[in-house]
Amino acid sequence: MNLEQLKQLKEKAQKQISLREGGKKYRVVVGMSTSGVAAGAREVMTTMLDEIEKQSIGSVEVCVTGEIGMVDAEPMVRVEETGGEKTVYGKVNLEGARKIVSQHLQKGKKVQELAVGQTKDKE
Amino acid sequence: MFEELSQHILDIAMNSLSANATKVQISILESRRHDRLVLRVRDDGCGMDAAMLKRVLANRWSSKSKRRKAIGLGLAFLRQTSEMCDGRFQVRSVPGRGTSVTASMRLSHIDRPPLGDLNATILALCSADKKTDVQLNYRSDGEKFVFDSRDLAKKG
Repeated sequence: MNLEQLKQLKEKAQKQISLREGGKKYRVVVGMSTSGVAAGAREVMTTMLDEIEKQSIGSVEVCVTGEIGMVDAEPMVRVEETGGEKTVYGKVNLEGARKIVSQHLQKGKKVQELAVGQTKDKE
Repeated sequence: MFEELSQHILDIAMNSLSANATKVQISILESRRHDRLVLRVRDDGCGMDAAMLKRVLANRWSSKSKRRKAIGLGLAFLRQTSEMCDGRFQVRSVPGRGTSVTASMRLSHIDRPPLGDLNATILALCSADKKTDVQLNYRSDGEKFVFDSRDLAKKG
């Protein structure tokens, strides 16, 4: 175990905690169930956090949930637009995670090849 | 199966969040002197009674299984890993008070997975629920590291 690595944790977590405040344009939900973690959901989440920081996208909240459903399509990421559409992405690898950030979150363009479903918000 | 112990920790701690815990304490003790690694995830969630605990420890049982969404292998995975590495696995739970999962391993065991990216695990847990306080206590022979998400929330 590398203690130096752990020391970076506080700084990173501080940033993450400030990211999870509400009132953002997009809410990104990563499915962190047993199957999700085994499929690499944790790495997908950290990649997205890094990429959001690198591209300095401000209006995104990243959070984690349990099962989203469709276990065979893990890792799964759901992008929710406030008051708008929810897009579910499946089989998201690290490259896909970066793509979702640079296309969907940055430019508002959906990554069609990764999408498994879309619902309109009922509200 | 998980390749890293930190993935196990994330998986077990997600159970704590499902149990509506307000506090999740993760402790890791790594001792070369005693050739031992002990992981503990303790929460103050809703807990389980004896009958439920028994079912949980049987393979493929999950509180979500009625919805056909869950796998129910999280605890079984950790148990397998710890027993494979000359360790012991224990779950203690009191309804209304919380649950504590402890897994030990022989540190030098050839099959013992690496701790892996503990930072990513804690980050993921911090993103899961604003109301839950995530604490990490890491101790090895001479070193110590303490993390508490509540401290950060105050500053931020």
